[in-house]
Amino acid sequence: MLVYIVDDDELFAECLERYLSDCEVRRFTNVIDTINEMNDEVPDMIFLDVLLDGPDGFTLLNEMASYSDTGKVPIVIVSSIEISPVGLENYGVVAVINKAELTPESVRKCLDKI
Amino acid sequence: MESEVNGILVAAHELKAPLCLLKQLAFSMDFATDAEDLRKIQNQMIGVSDRALRQVQDLTKIARLDDGLFEMEPVAVRAVCDEVTAELRKLFWFNHRNLEIEYRNKNRLVFANRELLYSVIYNFCLNAMHYSDEETRSELTLSDKDGKVRLDVRDFGPALPMDVWKSLKKGWVTKPTSIAMRPGSSGLGLYIASKFSQYMNANVGAVRHRDGTSFFVELMPSKQASLFEC
Repeated sequence: MLVYIVDDDELFAECLERYLSDCEVRRFTNVIDTINEMNDEVPDMIFLDVLLDGPDGFTLLNEMASYSDTGKVPIVIVSSIEISPVGLENYGVVAVINKAELTPESVRKCLDKI
Repeated sequence: MESEVNGILVAAHELKAPLCLLKQLAFSMDFATDAEDLRKIQNQMIGVSDRALRQVQDLTKIARLDDGLFEMEPVAVRAVCDEVTAELRKLFWFNHRNLEIEYRNKNRLVFANRELLYSVIYNFCLNAMHYSDEETRSELTLSDKDGKVRLDVRDFGPALPMDVWKSLKKGWVTKPTSIAMRPGSSGLGLYIASKFSQYMNANVGAVRHRDGTSFFVELMPSKQASLFEC
């Protein structure tokens, strides 16, 4: 299973990657690199932070929703700010986790949704 | 009252990040592959804690600035730069970045408070690390300019948005809000640097580059400098 982690906090992303040790994980710190990589291979799931340098996480959601292949990729928003999941399901968002409440178990539960 | 509440909110948000990270690092210990990996996580926890503690200490210092308890004295600015960079170099390395120093002037004494100056340089460098692209360097430069000693910290990352730069150009960062903000940060570090610089009668500012930003502080040279400088 190929999982993308998009987060400019590299230590946080590293922790997340540890919880996903049985997946193939690719980490990105910005939206542009993520989109470029997605042109080569579409992931099975994305863990996405919203506040990023340059284009933010919502830009990535919009971009992905506009293509048939990426529009179906389940996305988990992982953010330190409060985000309502209402309406985001139209963009493939299957869960919204506050960074303060994230646990290895909550990450595993997200994988079960695939 | 409103600005006080905003300040508390911003500080709370900024301090939330290291706490969240510490929690994840603690969880990560269960996933360590070997003793070396475990030690790496432990070091990361210490580093994150140190930075958060420094921020809390700086915030408490801001509250004490009005009492004028921070004595101004001649300070060897290069020695302070060396100390800060020695402390932060490992952190830069951990984050796949590099911190370079260039001294373009004589070894100057400036009129400052050593503790506050340390925090100003530390916060500028930390800001540069956070906003530099991976595998790039940040540059700390000391030079003379218009009779003052100027310290620049340059990052190579996303350009500072024009509106933010315009606000910053008008003067001090008066509160930790969007003026100092780049994505993911409330600019608390820059606010702290600004407050401490103001106390030391030093100017702070920013220079906008296409490939990043320089934050600078201009310090008054000490009159006792002549015997020391070389």
